[in-house]
Amino acid sequence: MSLPKHLQETFSPEEIQFIVENEPIKIFPRITTRQRVNMVNKNASQHWKLITTDDWALNNMVATQSTTVVLWIALLLKQQSKCSIVAPEWLTVRALDRHIQYEKKNTDRFSELPWNWLVLARILFNRAPEDFHDPVHELRSRIQDLREIRQTKVLKGLKYLNESHLQLDNLSLLEINELRPFIVDIMDKLREIHSAAVVAGNEDGNNEEDDFDFS
Amino acid sequence: MGYYDIDDILADSVEIPCKFQHDIPGLGYLENNPGKPVKKNAKLELPLWLARILAIIDGDTNEGELNQDEESVPFVELLTPDMFSPKVINAIKADPTSLDLHAINSYFYALALKWISLFSDREFADIVTTLLLERSQAINNHASSVSVEFKSSLDSVRGTQVTAGASNAAASMFLLTLDEFEKKVYKKSHESYKETKKWMFEK
Repeated sequence: MSLPKHLQETFSPEEIQFIVENEPIKIFPRITTRQRVNMVNKNASQHWKLITTDDWALNNMVATQSTTVVLWIALLLKQQSKCSIVAPEWLTVRALDRHIQYEKKNTDRFSELPWNWLVLARILFNRAPEDFHDPVHELRSRIQDLREIRQTKVLKGLKYLNESHLQLDNLSLLEINELRPFIVDIMDKLREIHSAAVVAGNEDGNNEEDDFDFS
Repeated sequence: MGYYDIDDILADSVEIPCKFQHDIPGLGYLENNPGKPVKKNAKLELPLWLARILAIIDGDTNEGELNQDEESVPFVELLTPDMFSPKVINAIKADPTSLDLHAINSYFYALALKWISLFSDREFADIVTTLLLERSQAINNHASSVSVEFKSSLDSVRGTQVTAGASNAAASMFLLTLDEFEKKVYKKSHESYKETKKWMFEK
């Protein structure tokens, strides 16, 4: 078909990164784009004109005054050393330690990390490692810890797959994305088995009401 | 399961033991002796696509109103095939993960599903559900244990990228017991874990 098979029901990790790159992030610009009042019309051609994101912030950057832009622009500016990226507040050793504590204490739930934590952490570690206040290797190891703790919880949760539903609060997009093919396929088959027995049973006239809540 | 689904077509061609409940002239070629009639109570193996229909349609339809009062008897009666025999069901109950589903039938789930909807067999549905659930845990374990050799891809000295490391003997033994549906699930989820891991650690 026109869409490759491996993309038909899910996202590739690159597409997940693309989605995450559309999120706003705080930066310290190292350039000034704000025009003086009397120069506004002269350099109009140098203005950013964007249709997918707000270009006001980009046309009003003042060096070292923090501002918020979309992540993909931040990465482009960072690449040319025209800004430094401010790491979000959850991406500090202290905050991550708190999350790890929470994960260890509550074995039945996931801690409230943002939906893009894994992707954002990886992007920033690779592209802006010198912009962190904490040493990157410590952050890296804590992200890895979190990932492993959550993976064991996922493994535990998979024992409760059923034909109707599953609640996965606070599971991030990348974590959901790597599980999607497995969970969806298995639950789909469970549902087929369940409904084959139930629907056929109904035709025979021995339907039990409570079985129809899910179907 | 779609009309054009190859796996469904292959599953439908699995043969099921059937008992004829009528004398039917001309159908002897099902028993490999064309020209002869099929006798009542003859036991034959018919592909599921044929057996399923013959087990539903009754043989008296063209005789019309003569014996409407009697309960109509379908052409064939389906007998329990080996793959759903008590022996297999006990083996499933004992230990789902060590069962060689591929040897029993490579389309076990597809056939079980058809069997369940034919007979509305809830008990069997429950057994298959636990079977799938237990085995899915093992499938996930094998799918998620990705050994990617990043060294070789990072060095890019060798040119060829070794992605799937040598899977150990225990894993490959288990993978040989998977039925076609489970193989698909394994392949897809393994691919997914691998792609994610590759994205996380490369570049």
